[in-house]
Amino acid sequence: MGPIVPVGACLGLSAVLFAIGLFGFLTRRNIILMLVSVEIMLNSVNVSLAAFSHHLSDARGQVMALFVIAVAAGEAAIGLGLVLALSRNQQGVNVEDVTQLKW
Amino acid sequence: MSTAGLIIFYYLAAASITSAILAITRHKAMHSLLWVLALFLHVAGIFLLMGAEFLAAVQVIVYAGAILVFYLFFLMLLDLPSEAAAPRFSAHWPLSVLAGVAFATSIWYARDIPAALVPPAAPSAGNLATVGKALFTEFALPFEIVSLVLLAAIVGAVVMAKRKTQT
Repeated sequence: MGPIVPVGACLGLSAVLFAIGLFGFLTRRNIILMLVSVEIMLNSVNVSLAAFSHHLSDARGQVMALFVIAVAAGEAAIGLGLVLALSRNQQGVNVEDVTQLKW
Repeated sequence: MSTAGLIIFYYLAAASITSAILAITRHKAMHSLLWVLALFLHVAGIFLLMGAEFLAAVQVIVYAGAILVFYLFFLMLLDLPSEAAAPRFSAHWPLSVLAGVAFATSIWYARDIPAALVPPAAPSAGNLATVGKALFTEFALPFEIVSLVLLAAIVGAVVMAKRKTQT
């Protein structure tokens, strides 16, 4: 069975999703939604890894995508722990209010 | 089969892009997270179409099931006000548009570079068996390191989220 899905279209989709996630990361003010934008970017990378795995009929790309998912889970735990510690110390979690380290 | 597969793929791709755009533009954080859930499910469909069944299952169970529910819990726990509408970019946006166009052009020219730099793998016999074999033979050490990363993440999250007690 040959590849059903064109690999170029998958890479284009991955690039578009990555750009959307990057735009979201740069424009959202809420830290939780910034973390979610990072998740969108990681997911777009998974799409391109799976596309190459499909194109080269090589399972190693899928293994890499599994590792990316594991790192994303760790990032969610650490990031939300930081958000919880931040929300104990101040009202709201907007990035513009976090200026204690600003010189 | 091929035409139907292509139609399904383009539907899934369009739906993913639409839900991603909606996810980063909604003002209410809960709506954003629900659109991200739609995005993750559509991406799982794309994985299924590419013959990566295990990856699709992990995407639904871990991403949509665990990580996103974790975010939803946090959002309801913190009870945030919706974001105030603010100007998104300062006066530098023409520069960023220029940088983005240059990056897209360089990607467009890089697509002619041959992709077959990776030595071809042995012909696969069943997707899940191949992935499992690769995971536990060739990638056994990275697999164990990932378990350490997850352990460090758990401990770090507990340490950071713990309430400081005065003693």
